[in-house]
Amino acid sequence: MIKNYRLLDLIRRQRTPLENHLIDGLVDGRVSRREFIRHGSLLGLSLPLLGGITTAAGLGGMPSLARAQGAPGATIRVGSSVPAATIDPVTIADAGGLLIMQQVAEFLCVDGPDLVLKPALAESWKPNDNGTVWTFKLRKGVKFHSGGEMKADDVVASIDRLADPANSSNALSVFTGILQKGATKKVDDYTVEFHLDAPNGNFPYMVSSDNYNAVIIPASYKGDYEKSFDGTGPFKIEKYTAKVGASFVRNEDYWGEKALPERTEFTFFADMQPQILALQGGQIDIINQMPVLAGVALLNDPSVDIISLKSVAHQQLHLRCDSDPFKDPRVRRAIALSLDRDKLVAGLMKGRASAGNDSPFAPAYPSTDTSVPQRKQDIAQAKQLMEAAGAGKGFKVTLTTERYLEIPEYAQLIQNWVKEIGIELELNILDQGAYYGDAVFGKSNWLDSVMGITDYGHRGVPNVYLAAPLKSDGTWNAAHFKNKDYDTLATSYIAALDLEAQKATAGKIQNLLLEETPVIFGYFYDYLTATAKGVAGVQPTAMSQLFLEKASKA
Amino acid sequence: MSLSLVTLFLLSIMVFLGGQVLPGNVGRAILGPFADQRAVDALNHTLGVDRPLLTQYATWIWNFIRGDMGTSYIFRSPVAPFVIDALGNSMKLAAVAFVLVVPIGILGGVVAALNLNRPLDRIISLGGLSVTVLPEFVTGIILILIFGVWLRWLPISAAWPKNAGFFTQLYYLILPSLPLFLVLFGYIARMARSGMIEALDSDYTRTAVLKGLPWRTVIWRHVLRNALLPTITVIATQTGYLIGGLVVIETLFRYQGIGSLIFTAARGKDFPMLESGILTIGIVYAVATLIADFLYSVLNPRIRLGSDQ
Amino acid sequence: MSAVQTTSPPQDDTRRRSPMAEVFFSLMRSRTFLVGLFIVLFWVACALFGEHFAPYDPLADDIINALAPPSSEHWFGTDQIGRDVFSRVIVGSRDILTVAPLATLLATVAGTALGLLTGYFRGIVDDVVSRILEAFMAIPVVIVALLAIVALGTSKATVIVVIGLSFAPIIARTVRSAVLAERELDYVAAAQLRHESAFHTMFVEILPNVIPPILVETTVRLGYAIFAVATLSFMGFGIQPPSPDWGLSISSNYGMIGGGFWWTVLFDALAIASLVIGVNLVADGVHGALND
Repeated sequence: MIKNYRLLDLIRRQRTPLENHLIDGLVDGRVSRREFIRHGSLLGLSLPLLGGITTAAGLGGMPSLARAQGAPGATIRVGSSVPAATIDPVTIADAGGLLIMQQVAEFLCVDGPDLVLKPALAESWKPNDNGTVWTFKLRKGVKFHSGGEMKADDVVASIDRLADPANSSNALSVFTGILQKGATKKVDDYTVEFHLDAPNGNFPYMVSSDNYNAVIIPASYKGDYEKSFDGTGPFKIEKYTAKVGASFVRNEDYWGEKALPERTEFTFFADMQPQILALQGGQIDIINQMPVLAGVALLNDPSVDIISLKSVAHQQLHLRCDSDPFKDPRVRRAIALSLDRDKLVAGLMKGRASAGNDSPFAPAYPSTDTSVPQRKQDIAQAKQLMEAAGAGKGFKVTLTTERYLEIPEYAQLIQNWVKEIGIELELNILDQGAYYGDAVFGKSNWLDSVMGITDYGHRGVPNVYLAAPLKSDGTWNAAHFKNKDYDTLATSYIAALDLEAQKATAGKIQNLLLEETPVIFGYFYDYLTATAKGVAGVQPTAMSQLFLEKASKA
Repeated sequence: MSLSLVTLFLLSIMVFLGGQVLPGNVGRAILGPFADQRAVDALNHTLGVDRPLLTQYATWIWNFIRGDMGTSYIFRSPVAPFVIDALGNSMKLAAVAFVLVVPIGILGGVVAALNLNRPLDRIISLGGLSVTVLPEFVTGIILILIFGVWLRWLPISAAWPKNAGFFTQLYYLILPSLPLFLVLFGYIARMARSGMIEALDSDYTRTAVLKGLPWRTVIWRHVLRNALLPTITVIATQTGYLIGGLVVIETLFRYQGIGSLIFTAARGKDFPMLESGILTIGIVYAVATLIADFLYSVLNPRIRLGSDQ
Repeated sequence: MSAVQTTSPPQDDTRRRSPMAEVFFSLMRSRTFLVGLFIVLFWVACALFGEHFAPYDPLADDIINALAPPSSEHWFGTDQIGRDVFSRVIVGSRDILTVAPLATLLATVAGTALGLLTGYFRGIVDDVVSRILEAFMAIPVVIVALLAIVALGTSKATVIVVIGLSFAPIIARTVRSAVLAERELDYVAAAQLRHESAFHTMFVEILPNVIPPILVETTVRLGYAIFAVATLSFMGFGIQPPSPDWGLSISSNYGMIGGGFWWTVLFDALAIASLVIGVNLVADGVHGALND
């Protein structure tokens, strides 16, 4: 491994202290190449530059981005879930809807399959020294489907619209406490500055495809998105029929490489079964999101390819820390120890998952401290803890949760496991709507239940998971976990711009959460997409988005 | 006639009350559990959910009478097209079932009567009635297994490909219509059977045969008249029950009919959709009953001649 | 003492003297009744003692062996988390045989009360209440249930109340007709002359005489109640996991039949079918015996 010190020196001279610290970490071996690339792109370093640095550091270049191109001109047919509501960038909150919107509209940057941020409508970005102002440079010559060039005014309007509380946007949950209305400022026609409420080391993710509302549309937008489906994307809308389907055609004026497919067609399905049959019957080419349990028939089907993305989607099993019987952390740890995580991964998720270690820090995150030991099933120790906490005789408790994906089966497995330590679990499985209720404390089964399981989708960084469900003032804190030390650590993680600082804090958080265990993270499951054999170039994201511009059929 | 109106009124009140007691609120249902509370409040206000109950009900009823079914909370577009579309689909399904069950049911009854008390009669009569009492999803599942999974003769979900022609749609509709068919078959066959037995016994038949009319004509004319009346009665009285069955069958086969529409609307707390859907079903039911009454009086000479009840 | 001829008893006392014994024997002779009874008793026995002769614990999971087809180890195969289907089918009758009879009982009690009231008082009370009940009856049970359960939440109690109240009008109508007939008889007039309260006349005098039609109606309603409970648990209401209830099992597993996992639903469906048919056979038998 030959390091080219001269080249490294040259590169270093033009970098900020923050970036240099990261480079140091790479050179000295504290930061892996993968982590370096991902964090480097977060800080705004371009991919070619990152590749140059890793080569200079003797670690090899970037993986070749050029791949064998498929044949152009195909019609790609996709099966997806039914959009649950009107398609509107401000309000969209469901998988089916955001998928359709993402076909035509684009983001400033995209969170790719390896959690690396790739530039899209923004060419580059940079934080200031303490991470309170992020400056984004926009791409020039990007045209909207309706005509007109994308400029800073459009970006400011699009993001402001989302940060404005009066607009009822889903994205407020991402921006609250981070970016306010009016804090997005135009510097010139192609430069935008985001002035944050507090230092934030992961801000670019908040305007990436992770924040699925944050598409850039014209400043003149006044509502009624379904009339125009305006955007800058590689496909234009052809037709949209609510509850039935949508079709798109190639955008010949796209700013980047023109899409390979000539058109794409989406059919909406209310259920998995018909999608599976349609795929096997050749009526569709792609099933957008396939939960393991429902799609078990396809996993071994030779005519089907499964694209598996490491994702951090998971189910949170919360235990209320302010209420009997879970006040004592020993009881909570006992429950965590009664779970057989290996069986969950191998059996429930058919191997398509990784074990969770009771914190939001999934193995897939670069900032996760992997030296923290993985919790495993230990019934003997669990029983001891129950005794020590005075709960040796066991108790009865109700587990309230939602009928969604594999959660009912997960709940029944938990029920059987905790029986071994004397806990009698009664299940109350509700419809999603009934479970979430009004989603405020006092009016929601989710937030009020003593014990519950809640589904969480994928996020590129753990920030959201660290804040809302676990901080003392968190709006999603179903566990009613109020721990000052945790709050301090979480805040410092979120503010940290430096990867190694993030890792150090992560380790502390992970250990604290193992000790307290307000929430059990059993497993992080892969995001699966099924395609018919011969279909290539499909790029899904674990947010249930689908990038089809490179798709082709054999 | 007035009864149907009372029923409809009662129905609308029940649905309205049911809608207002639902847990959670609409804004939350649309935006999802993770959206900010301010956003939810803003949305609720926009949708008018925070007005007093009586105002909401009155506004809604007045609009419905004028043909405006309101705007779906979830899709933010008019309810009417969804309901009408779904109703059309359900009508297709019901039509296939009826077109199959009326002739086959009557035929079954005739065959049973002609083989009175012999094995064939037993099979048709007892078999028919046994199947009638089975829940639709039970017969549906068994039929799916036999014809869809094992024999692979028929598709197991009713979601036909886009732009499917008439015959393709028919192909997809056969399996879902079978449970409906089976619910009605037993009754119709029994009616036809007793009508046939009566016909075989009657003076009219004997006279006609003595006069030299061919058996077939006699049976045909007499049976048809005798079997149609009870058939219409059966269908009319069973309509409410059938509608319930429709909800189950459409869910099982994932068919976008009005049954699954109201089911999804109830789950999503899409109140205008739910109310309009149920009221539409009520209207269809009232109309069906009226038509049945009318047909009955036309076909039944005794009533036409004005005899008392 | 010339009572060679037995005087025929006064007409209004005939029904009071219907010997239960006669009905009983007539039932025992009816093949339909016996077959039906056998089936029902079989499932009742399973509901009560099922665990003792089930080969596996119906709740014990074995996730690694999930969705295994029928074999010598698992006669009916295993379900999505590896539980033995055979054991679950055996014990699965428990919930349905608790909820449906309770619902029927509620319907009978409410319906009988309503029927007595409307039949006895007639006039305005009858008109108004009957109208409302008729209008209510026109609404399909599933829709009422859907509304009530979505509004009030899903629990066994809600299901019992919904089904009970939905079937009450039908029983009320039958009871009303019977009461209307009884009302004209002498013993009722006699009671009124004695200044018995309306309550007493209805419940003490008339009620015992209308029991036969109530009984028939109840057994028929029980069949429908079982039907309704199974349907509602299939739609996702009332009964909760991990109960091996048949309707619930079918609803959890039918999404998989496209993948060929037929054993997870077929046996539950057949079980429901057999129970429903059994109850209907019993109802038929009772109907036949009491109308002889």
